[in-house]
Amino acid sequence: MNNTDSSASIHRLGRISVIITLSMILIVPLAISIHFNIFPPLKNFISGFLQAVMIYLPISIAEFLTFVPILGTGAYLAFITGNLTNLKIPCAAVAMENAKVKPATDEGQVIAILSIASSSITTIIILFIGMLVIFPLMPLLNHEFLKPAFDNVLPALFGALAAYFFLKQWKLAVTPLAFSIIFAFVIINMTTIQFSTVQGLLIPILGLISVLSAVGLYNKGVITKDDIN
Amino acid sequence: MNYLDIANSSFVFIMCGLLIFTVLVISCLFLRHAWKTGLELEISREIMIRTIKSSMTFSIAPSIPIVIALTTMVGVLGIPFPWMRLSIIGSFQYELMTAKIGASAMGIESLGGAGYTAQVFSNSMWVMSLGIIWGMLFCLFFLKKFSSTLENAQKKDSSKIQIIITALYFGMLSVFVGPPMVSGGVQLYTLLVSALLLALITWITRKNESTTAGDWAFTLSMVGGMIFAAFYTNIF
Repeated sequence: MNNTDSSASIHRLGRISVIITLSMILIVPLAISIHFNIFPPLKNFISGFLQAVMIYLPISIAEFLTFVPILGTGAYLAFITGNLTNLKIPCAAVAMENAKVKPATDEGQVIAILSIASSSITTIIILFIGMLVIFPLMPLLNHEFLKPAFDNVLPALFGALAAYFFLKQWKLAVTPLAFSIIFAFVIINMTTIQFSTVQGLLIPILGLISVLSAVGLYNKGVITKDDIN
Repeated sequence: MNYLDIANSSFVFIMCGLLIFTVLVISCLFLRHAWKTGLELEISREIMIRTIKSSMTFSIAPSIPIVIALTTMVGVLGIPFPWMRLSIIGSFQYELMTAKIGASAMGIESLGGAGYTAQVFSNSMWVMSLGIIWGMLFCLFFLKKFSSTLENAQKKDSSKIQIIITALYFGMLSVFVGPPMVSGGVQLYTLLVSALLLALITWITRKNESTTAGDWAFTLSMVGGMIFAAFYTNIF
């Protein structure tokens, strides 16, 4: 959406939305702390804050570099509404695929935003209902029979995504998949690290490996324009 | 006053509800903006409506783990604050970890355990709120420049940019596909079942040259995989 009115206006809408959301995020704990007079001592807050920064700042830089190319200006709303890897990115990628548009094009960004906005509204509604009926809901969600279904949402989601996209562009999938299996093998079998705790870190690492290999293959002519259409 | 009385008070409900409502309005504004831009770009209404409908359906199943995360958080952080964190901004993998960091910075090792006072709760809340604001800050300062660089690169060598974007996306997908393949068990079988279902549905819809079932293919495969996981675990 370059050099057009809609490009300028989507950035304006995005920036104003981010500023409003950030202010509200600050106001919520501030108002609660004032109302109940429960401010934590500053040094304890800073100590906790710095620990969180050490973990999330590198992850956030990597997420920004990885996800903005896929979402374009849709990134404003995606970062405001959260749950990127498990929801917003897959949702937008599938929507662009179904609408037969490409990321980073004008049309791609429109479809990505429509998809991210619809997805956030859905999650907000589901969590609102979930919050209202949380106590009656607990036995259902922890039901012996249903629990394995809910525990395996991510494998079910990524199995379908991988089957579709990897088969379609298999030349691009070989390297990241091979490295992912190697990393997973080493982490699961040779360390005591819980895999889910390093997932955030692995996304940019595998992303970088994947891009280097793809660009190499493209320059050598192994991957051509026809492979991505 | 017990910290949970504060955490579940109507004041906290109202504050958190206001923030969620604001983000809901923001989402609607983005939806309207994209709709208008789509019409200007002559994207058909039918495609845009299909995108909205299928994205909503697609999002139902992956939202369930978020509700489950809420059930595990309400006992220690009350209902409204986790509700707000999980509805927007946050992600269910990070929130509990950040709450713990806030508590341990006050010398308390377990959330909701002995010594978890209102002040400790407040520290958890502050660290959760301000610890994960970076993505938004980057958008505020760098997104305009970054996205226009991408659009220009796209115009110059569109194939190369599309390959790089696809490669980035594949890197992310691989992170979630490798571990079940290594650990095996129900995770691996679920992954394979939903992959097979998707291949099957795609094959059938292509054969019938229908496009509509394609929109639901991912949702159907995902739910199919989940149903399989329930049966498999309970039968074997």
